[in-house]
Amino acid sequence: MREPELIARVIAGDRIAARELYDAHAPRVFRLAFRLTGDADLAREFTQDTFVRAFGQLSRFRGDAALSTWLHRITVTVVANAMRKVKRFRERETDLEAAEPLHMEGSTSDPILRHRLHTAIDALPEIYRTTLIMHDVEGYTHGEIAQVLAVAEGTCKSRLSQARAQLREALADLAPELES
Amino acid sequence: MNEAELNKLIERDARSYNEPPAPPLDAMWAAIEAQDWTRAASTDTSGGSATRGRVRRWMMDRRFQAAAVLLIGVAIGRLTLARTNTQATAATTNPTTEQTRVASAVPDTGFAAPYQVTTSRYLGQTAALLIALPADTHHMNAAENQQFISRAGDLLTTTRLLLDSPAADNPSMRNLLEDLELVLAQVVHLRAAPSRTELDLIHQALDQREVLPRLTNAAADISAAN
Repeated sequence: MREPELIARVIAGDRIAARELYDAHAPRVFRLAFRLTGDADLAREFTQDTFVRAFGQLSRFRGDAALSTWLHRITVTVVANAMRKVKRFRERETDLEAAEPLHMEGSTSDPILRHRLHTAIDALPEIYRTTLIMHDVEGYTHGEIAQVLAVAEGTCKSRLSQARAQLREALADLAPELES
Repeated sequence: MNEAELNKLIERDARSYNEPPAPPLDAMWAAIEAQDWTRAASTDTSGGSATRGRVRRWMMDRRFQAAAVLLIGVAIGRLTLARTNTQATAATTNPTTEQTRVASAVPDTGFAAPYQVTTSRYLGQTAALLIALPADTHHMNAAENQQFISRAGDLLTTTRLLLDSPAADNPSMRNLLEDLELVLAQVVHLRAAPSRTELDLIHQALDQREVLPRLTNAAADISAAN
């Protein structure tokens, strides 16, 4: 069944069609939510919220963009709104589970370099971090990111450029190690 | 670091940033199906009231975890201290005096093993709950309060059972259980949206009777006795 037909059936209350749409899009929504939060419980909650909101508002989906873009826009909004509160909480509380393992299975890269890179990404301002994760980690195009974030493509490119500049500065001392 | 070096690093290591596990598709779907989508659409105008509730629950769970970790830390510290005192006493006194001193340092927790296990678990759970008791009403919503009150109700029942058991034969344990009964009863009678005054009264009761230090000491003493 084609996606527009599925959407029409979901709007009419067909839960089997809803499950079909969910199966097609949930893995990538969860992926994005996890990349942005780094927490399986939160990613799961935000994925659920994305679909509850999406199904509830599906009649407002005009089809101007792809359904996936619309879903990812909801995901980014849900995550951004909720993570402000989570970050405030994390700043006050010591998170004993946050320590990142230095060795990851199946990776041949230097764990210290990797840890430094991940820490530097964590420290980016949220708009830059989201753009960098979507582009450099998840492989979205600038056009897709611009649609999801509802900004001009040029803004998206500029944010990525800023994000990378901040990473270069934060990781400047690692240059000799990368050369070796 | 130049652009090429950063590209190299990103290409090699960025994909492992927050690397997602397999999505729990069926579990998430079960939660989605349980929601009323139509109602969610008509009420969700501000961008995720359901999300806010879940985030609060997530933070609440973290507070309970932190409280539990704190309690374990205190218990380990007390246990270590008790053992050090015991060794120091043994090194400086004759056998008769030694036995007397150890007996006075560790309260009599010689009730039957099943009661010790239950009491130890109960003290830990109660300490975790009371440490997580919020200082003001801004940190909790009605659903979380209800969850909190429900936990307190379960612990109040256990308190009363323990008061009628051999565990309460020890006078200091009985006093502690009676104070906990009072505090837990106050928590159970909190309204869904408690006022600042109600919470202040509970905190005052905890402070005046030194409930938390006694609670953690008792938990440590039982661990030491075991």
